[in-house]
Amino acid sequence: MKSTIIYILSLPILILFSCEETILIETDQADPQIIVEGLITNEMKRHTIKITQTADFYQAGDTPRISDASVTVSDNEGNTFIFLEEEKGIYRPQVAFEAKIGNTYDLTIDINGKLLTASEDLLPVTTIDSLTFGLNEEDTEEEEVDIFSVYMYTIEPQDEDNYYLFKFYRNSYWLNEEGEDITVTDDTAVGEAIDGIEAPYWYFKGDTARVEMYSLTRESFVFWNDVATLVFSDGGVFAPLPANPRSNITGGALGVFQVSAISAKEIIIE
Amino acid sequence: MNKIVSSILLLLFFIETNAQERFTISGYVKDASNGEELIGSTVFVKELQTGTITNHYGFYSLTLTPGTYNLVFSYVGFENLPKQVSLTSNLEFNQELKADPTLLQDVVIIGEEEEDVNVQSTRMSINDLNIEQIKKLPSLFGEPDIIKNVQMQSGVVTVGEGTSGYFVRGGTPDQNLILIDEAPIFDPSHFFGLFSIFNADVIKDAELMKGGIPSRYGGRLSSILDVRTKDGNSKRLAGSGGIGLLASRAMIEGPIKKDKSSFLVAGRRSYVDLFLKGNDDVSKIYFYDMNTKVNWKINNKNRFFLSGYFGRDVQQFNDDGAFNWGNKTATLRWNHLFNERIFSNTSLIFSRFSYGLEIFDEIEGLEWTAAITQVSFKEDFAFFINPRNELTYGYEGTYRKFSPGKIVPNSDNSIFKKTEMPKTSSLDHAFYLGNKQDLTKELTLEYGLRYSIFQNVGPSLVYEYEDPQDNINITRVDSTKYGNFETIKTFQNIEPRFSARYLVNGSSSIKASYNRMVQNVHLLSNSVVSLPFNTWAPSGMYIDPQKSDQYAVGYFKNLRNNKYELSAEVYYKKLLDVTAFADNANVFFNEDLAVEFRRGTGKSYGLELYGRKNRGSLTGFVSYTLSKAESKIPGINGGKIFPSSHDRRHNLSVNASYELNQRITFGANLVYGTGRPFTLPVGRYEVENYNLNFYTGRNQYQLPDFHRLDLSMTIIPKKNLGKKFSSSWTFAVYNAYNRKNPFTIYTRKKQNGDGDIIGDGSELQARLIYLFPILPSVTYNISF
Repeated sequence: MKSTIIYILSLPILILFSCEETILIETDQADPQIIVEGLITNEMKRHTIKITQTADFYQAGDTPRISDASVTVSDNEGNTFIFLEEEKGIYRPQVAFEAKIGNTYDLTIDINGKLLTASEDLLPVTTIDSLTFGLNEEDTEEEEVDIFSVYMYTIEPQDEDNYYLFKFYRNSYWLNEEGEDITVTDDTAVGEAIDGIEAPYWYFKGDTARVEMYSLTRESFVFWNDVATLVFSDGGVFAPLPANPRSNITGGALGVFQVSAISAKEIIIE
Repeated sequence: MNKIVSSILLLLFFIETNAQERFTISGYVKDASNGEELIGSTVFVKELQTGTITNHYGFYSLTLTPGTYNLVFSYVGFENLPKQVSLTSNLEFNQELKADPTLLQDVVIIGEEEEDVNVQSTRMSINDLNIEQIKKLPSLFGEPDIIKNVQMQSGVVTVGEGTSGYFVRGGTPDQNLILIDEAPIFDPSHFFGLFSIFNADVIKDAELMKGGIPSRYGGRLSSILDVRTKDGNSKRLAGSGGIGLLASRAMIEGPIKKDKSSFLVAGRRSYVDLFLKGNDDVSKIYFYDMNTKVNWKINNKNRFFLSGYFGRDVQQFNDDGAFNWGNKTATLRWNHLFNERIFSNTSLIFSRFSYGLEIFDEIEGLEWTAAITQVSFKEDFAFFINPRNELTYGYEGTYRKFSPGKIVPNSDNSIFKKTEMPKTSSLDHAFYLGNKQDLTKELTLEYGLRYSIFQNVGPSLVYEYEDPQDNINITRVDSTKYGNFETIKTFQNIEPRFSARYLVNGSSSIKASYNRMVQNVHLLSNSVVSLPFNTWAPSGMYIDPQKSDQYAVGYFKNLRNNKYELSAEVYYKKLLDVTAFADNANVFFNEDLAVEFRRGTGKSYGLELYGRKNRGSLTGFVSYTLSKAESKIPGINGGKIFPSSHDRRHNLSVNASYELNQRITFGANLVYGTGRPFTLPVGRYEVENYNLNFYTGRNQYQLPDFHRLDLSMTIIPKKNLGKKFSSSWTFAVYNAYNRKNPFTIYTRKKQNGDGDIIGDGSELQARLIYLFPILPSVTYNISF
């Protein structure tokens, strides 16, 4: 809900009159900062933790990766999972594991003596009851090819504050408009029956559509919501003043240690 | 407090009765052509070499010892009216002045003193906006706009185009009190700031007070824009209108009973949507305003005025959604003369600003509304003790209701449920007392005190937090429900006001002023310029009143018998307890907004140079401001001082109009300003597929400089000269040399013209958005 509102509110009417062009900005580049990206879910898999650094604004290519860091995740049941570097900056456990709902997971990263930590609970997520699809008549007419929309049905728990991150896939490809779109929301003003909310992407005949719903804690929601603010901002006088997303990692790093339960459903457009 | 006021009054009466017996000459000064009272008209007593000016209702009062006096009534653009009176008893002396536009030619007629109001009066840092002048100048899309004119005054800065927000001496737009017939306007913009809510046809007088603010005004930190509308022609039926490319307006005014009562009705509507028929996204976009006024001037002792403003902006995006927002005001006023020396104005004021946002969708449909409503009772007294002392005192009581937001589903299958943010209310009492005193012929002082009691009251729900500054882990430990009018928190403040004028000689003076201002209504906005969707909140449990202290000193000089007015003013302003927000604050529909507040401080200082040419074929003004504005907010920019978002070092505005002959007038506007401070990325990083900007600090960079030239030409067709029905054509060009003035810079992944990403998406590029290219316009104006 918030993302739709944010989108409408950030649609400056002045777009009607405005023009734009590319310019070169000259700023004093900052000293490199560490970025941690970790995602632990209740799927049985070898979860990934990625450690990188900031790069100069105009520096293209991969941002610098941090190797030789020691990365461990432990839970409140006494389990410890050691993550080893598999590709530059990318760390995975040797054996797959699934995080359990209700447990607390602690991340510890040691980079040459610099200690970064984070702690998150795995909160439950409601289930996606079903997905349906339907022909999107208006867009089909315009585009002259059959366009389908996918609709989601679920029940939103009313007795607590919930935070969600959604990911939409078309044939295993994650759709996010090349990094210009994100769907993260809280449940303010959301009622119980979610009957057919439309996914924000188009699908074609034969596609496999997949919707994933991630549970977020308040801290990881704050991070992704701040990212959404940056992604949707135009930097204009009506936009919120830019700031780095608030991270849940202690010790001097940006990024997020996200521990989520996932509910996913797929449907084939036939 | 009342006891103090009565004692002072008694003391003054006592002083008076002990002195020699005096009589009072009083009355109203009006425009002979339409009966409109003239605000600020001078009444000069030759024998005493002093005088007074008419107040906001056109009333003056002079208490003198018996004798024969030669009075001169004057007003800019009108013929001077000399009158001799023999004062033997109280005299009701109303006058009507005849307009004479030839007076604006380069002819010296009048004696020096009467005209040098800018040098004479203690008023400093107050800009009188000349409505007639504003109408003659080039304007955006041909719509004359007083807010655009305000933005060109010295000491006033904007952050570019497309917004009606203006920043006065380092203060933000929410620190400006904008009044229309004493009713506050919460958002003065139409169409996202391209136009303002003020229809130039209905405005009689407008004053911008940047400093030296008298004690009868209060409620905002940085400025007061006091706009008064016309009463309506009380002599004959008249009207005017204009048809422009984007909007049209019409006004009808006339007597209900000649010279006693009149009315005025005006409306304006834009039709931008007609031009956007081809546009995919926007199906409706328009605004409209209506101004109405009715007045009944029974006699000099009793006059009644009822005025109202109603306006709305509406935008609709096909079948997806719609917004609308607008102000509604109504003012009922009663002017009463207790005797010739005590003028009273009693007002009942209503004002409401509301907005609505609708999303049309069977599943995601909702309606989101919010509003702020206020009702005030105001009693103002002016006691004209003698020509050297004018005492003003009064009371203003306001009840405000803050409705920060309500969401309601607008379809049966909507995923949304009815949710409402806790409302809150406030009671605001202000008492003021001020005196304007001529100590000697050279030295005049205006001093006063404003005392306010502000109470945040229920019905409301207030939460208590474990850490009221933690906006990540918000832990409510308690919640308290307050009943109707139950006090949540009370604040008391005293605002001293002082200004002085020292006449160096007949045509130059030095002025100094100090004012403390207090603000108890806070705009909840964390962008540089507010959106109509930002809501207001009262001082309360988590927000303290904002305060400001301003000092100003200036030198004022008139040359060639007031043909040229020059001034140089220096100011220093300190802002305390400014309501600011943490980084990434969520200001929309947030029940826990309290944890996002941060108390900031600000400081600004500057030099304002101003020159105006009042007569001749070429008239206009030049204003230059050199200023600095900085802020300090805990948690922002590492808690260190940073340039305020409106810190623009140099600002130059030139406004000129040239009358070629009786039919043709040319106008030009030139603005130049240093680019506004900006936060630019100092690095980038990746999180999943997102290529994000890395920031350190705030406002460490600047946008490129801003400059623009607008030109206009107004032509009166030959056949219309001197006739009752007259028309004119105005051709204007906005941004005549097509400067690409930066509006903002944003970043995105490097793309080609079609929106396809170039490369692997790791390369970023910065894009400059600029708003208005060269824009010509044509407007046809009529009046009868």
